[in-house]
Amino acid sequence: MSDGDGNGFDPKSASYLDSIEVIEVQRGPNPGGVGGAYRAFGETLRGLKTTMARLIEGPLTIEYPEEKTPVYPRFRGRHKLHKFEDSGLEKCVGCSLCAAACPADCIRVVAAENIPGDRVSAGERYAAVYEINLSRCIFCGYCEIACPFDAITMGHDYEMADYDRGDLIFTKEMLLAEPIERTPLKSEGE
Amino acid sequence: MSAKEVTIVVDGREVSAVEGEMLHDAARKGDVEIPVFCYEPKLGEPVGACRMCLVEIEGIPKLQTSCSTPVRDGMVVHTRTEQVKHAQNAVVEFLLVNHPLDCPVCDKGGECPLQDITMGWGPGKSRVIDEKRHFQKPIELSPLVAIDRERCILCYRCVRFSQEVSEDSQLQLLDRGDRTFVGTFDDRPYVAPFHGNITDICPVGALTSYTYRFRARPWDIEQAGSVCTLCPSQCNVSFTVRDEKVKRVITRDNHDVDDGWLCDRGRYGFEMFEAEERIAGPRLKGGAEVEWDEAIAAAAAGLRAAGGEVAAIVGDASNEEGYLVGRLLREGLGSNDVDSRQSRGFSRAAVVRLAQPDLTIKVREIDDADVILVAGTDPLHSSPILDLRVRKAIRRNGARLVVATERPTALDGGAEAIARYAPGGATHFLSELAAAVGGAENVASPLAESLRGAEKVVVIWGERIAREGDGAATALLDLADACGVAGAEGAGLLEVPDVTNARGLREAGCLPDAGPGLGAELAGGRSTEQIRAGLISGEIKSLLLFGADPLRDFPDTPAWEEALTAADHIVCFSMHENATTAKADVVFPLETHAEKDGTVTHPDGRLQRVRPSASRPGIVQSNIVILSLLAETLDLSTGIDSQPTAFAALTEAVPFYSSITEEKIGGQGIRWQETEAASTIPTPDGGALSSEPTTSATGEGLALGTYRDLWAGPITELNPPLQFLTPQQRLEISPADAARLDLKQGDVVRVGQNGSSVEAHVLIKERMSEGTVFLAEGVQGGNANALLNGGPVWVEIQKLSGVDA
Ligand code: SF4
Ligand code: SF4
Ligand code: SF4
Ligand code: SF4
Ligand code: FES
Repeated sequence: MSDGDGNGFDPKSASYLDSIEVIEVQRGPNPGGVGGAYRAFGETLRGLKTTMARLIEGPLTIEYPEEKTPVYPRFRGRHKLHKFEDSGLEKCVGCSLCAAACPADCIRVVAAENIPGDRVSAGERYAAVYEINLSRCIFCGYCEIACPFDAITMGHDYEMADYDRGDLIFTKEMLLAEPIERTPLKSEGE
Repeated sequence: MSAKEVTIVVDGREVSAVEGEMLHDAARKGDVEIPVFCYEPKLGEPVGACRMCLVEIEGIPKLQTSCSTPVRDGMVVHTRTEQVKHAQNAVVEFLLVNHPLDCPVCDKGGECPLQDITMGWGPGKSRVIDEKRHFQKPIELSPLVAIDRERCILCYRCVRFSQEVSEDSQLQLLDRGDRTFVGTFDDRPYVAPFHGNITDICPVGALTSYTYRFRARPWDIEQAGSVCTLCPSQCNVSFTVRDEKVKRVITRDNHDVDDGWLCDRGRYGFEMFEAEERIAGPRLKGGAEVEWDEAIAAAAAGLRAAGGEVAAIVGDASNEEGYLVGRLLREGLGSNDVDSRQSRGFSRAAVVRLAQPDLTIKVREIDDADVILVAGTDPLHSSPILDLRVRKAIRRNGARLVVATERPTALDGGAEAIARYAPGGATHFLSELAAAVGGAENVASPLAESLRGAEKVVVIWGERIAREGDGAATALLDLADACGVAGAEGAGLLEVPDVTNARGLREAGCLPDAGPGLGAELAGGRSTEQIRAGLISGEIKSLLLFGADPLRDFPDTPAWEEALTAADHIVCFSMHENATTAKADVVFPLETHAEKDGTVTHPDGRLQRVRPSASRPGIVQSNIVILSLLAETLDLSTGIDSQPTAFAALTEAVPFYSSITEEKIGGQGIRWQETEAASTIPTPDGGALSSEPTTSATGEGLALGTYRDLWAGPITELNPPLQFLTPQQRLEISPADAARLDLKQGDVVRVGQNGSSVEAHVLIKERMSEGTVFLAEGVQGGNANALLNGGPVWVEIQKLSGVDA
């Protein structure tokens, strides 16, 4: 296997065996004695120095859940579906493009046709069923990017824990409802 | 005729093609894709309307349309040069000038050639800032198809379909310039039996089905290939399935079967799978739903109690189901009374003769026929896709058509000669025709002239003529002889049966006088008519009906009513509730062709596989499993417990199916005549077929003929989108008879015979022979089967109310 490029080597070759040097491994001192005492106290004190130095800076931890870390404006939390402000019609037309884009396959859209006079959305079709299974969602935001009507956007809420997996399937009504904004936004420059 | 091989160079690749082939198809063989919109070989000659397929051919200065340029030897073609790209960009840009690009709300989105081609060959940017043309958003083209004219790219495909394939000529391009749109004369709804195909071929979302509108996107669905068993054509379909339910039926091209088209029956007849009348689990009399074991025990007890005096009639069933029912009766219950026909049929001897491989034609061979004789059937009603096939042969290959039927057919318009015989007179007419082809002068001479001397004669005959007994088979065979079809290349017979899998059931053993494989003659079996008589006289006590509804579909309803009432015990397998299930003691649910796993045999001998595509409702089980459980309860161990075991048993029992495997059936099916085992079909014994003299009796009044309407039955009653097509009972009468009886179009009359009568609206029809009237079978309210009694029938007509003149 030893070829001319100098990288390969054959562990069985004579030249290799000749080149081996036996090196003695250095070990630490045995436990106990002066050395042991130094290691126990000296090193601890060295660590404590860092602790003491930070102590005067005051606490950095946040008292969650009483207090919340503000998130960036583009933070990808729980989704929101939107309506047009003027007409009140749903922006979503049930095109299923979000479902196609979703890598976790957690969006389910069943579309239906709008009845003139009783419109749900502005287009010909609307989403009769719109569900996101948030227990599967990886919050990648692809759905938001795929949507041709900005009907779905990622919100800021990340507090979605629940006792039942079934409750994590968010329906259209839940996604359309104004979510309780529990998460503060980071302010400019923060 | 083997076409010459030529070699062309496409984008630097050598491709061998067949001379005369279109460049686009040849390029595809070399894996070079050329985008097309208007080109669709199914529609016939290319028209070159869209210019999407332009390519550069060395030696020709201008770009050429590859869809309509035949290849020549040594042609050098470029599909990716700057010039071609420029042209493609320009075409896409032009198409999009007026295209609304509303993909998110468009039903075609995700499976749209315009999307694909724009992404693949378009410029990617629009320079148009002007307003696009506007039309009212989707309007009804028909009650089943919506048209969004803004999206139309004027490729002509739908118009060509209407003009040149289904030949209903209803679709037209109206108006001029960028106002051009597809429509019908006077905005009338486009109602025609094949019109759903335009939604398949439209390359954009201009034509969409109301039944599928917004139901799903391509990524929400699965396509499941199966076979439509709503009629004997057995078209290849693909079910679009979402959440395990059928949402749409589209074609799965098979040129040997359907030529890539579907009729509207097959395309829109799927909502009945979930109709309220669907039977979703076993029931006892009165409708009590029970568990499977209880129902099977009840059925077995009833069948056993009859002590061998049991009969079975099989209707809509797969080969395996038919085979199992046959065994159940013969081996489990010791009775030979099994039949699969609605009325009188041919004897085993006649069936064997007609089943000989050299007599049967392949459907594809109709395309190249010289003369087509349609005898005793109207393909449009009985096997719709054949109607398109015959039209294609006439239009594209110049085939000549002759029609010999009782009733005017949809094909009459294209026929060179037409003969009308009296109802029940097929035997007589066909033997006259055979003699006339041989040179005799008689009533059939005008038709014979067309047939005489022709090489490739195709005879499409209706199973209905078998109601006249074996004499009809003799006449048919004589005619085949006279035309020299036996063994002749491209000539032969093709049957149009009454039920979808008639051929398969006969070959699987559902005949009174022959077991599986049409083997040796069995004695003592009763046919359908004899079973009815046996039930009435009490000789038969128990009846097993599998997918058959005698009270709607079989002639002589009053007698069937009596027979079913007289039966001690009836076990009925049925898909939906109907008058027959109401009389049954045990009702088992049947699977639909979207749920079933099994094989069926096309009238031309092609075995095809029906594959399970959707979930079964309720507690419906595989029919194979239920039948074998029933057999087990009757102490018959069949060794069958699933479709594969049933198929294995079937191919073992039917010698000429023996070299067929599920792999060989594959997606397109295989004709048993083309397998090694074909020679094991029993050979006909030399003797003449017994034939009773054909009744030339005459009667008082008008002779009654009946026909099965394409839209009669559950298909329209249980499919809400098709309900508008539900046929009304109409009395078809010739103008002369109408004048004599003082009847006007639309008058309500009572048509009576021997105490039974039905009400009908008068329809005066040209091309009818005088002295004959027609009524439809199977329609709700006034089913003509009530008037039939197995022989010729003459009716009295009584006017009930007239339309005001
Ligand atoms: S954020 Fe990503 S994973 Fe979640 S629903 Fe949207 S596309 Fe799917
Ligand atoms: S949210 Fe947007 S992408 Fe998803 S179905 Fe609605 S419109 Fe289409
Ligand atoms: S409706 Fe569709 S098939 Fe018909 S011309 Fe327009 S684009 Fe072509
Ligand atoms: S022609 Fe017959 S087999 Fe074909 S789609 Fe129509 S009903 Fe089904
Ligand atoms: S595909 Fe060739 S012109 Fe349309």
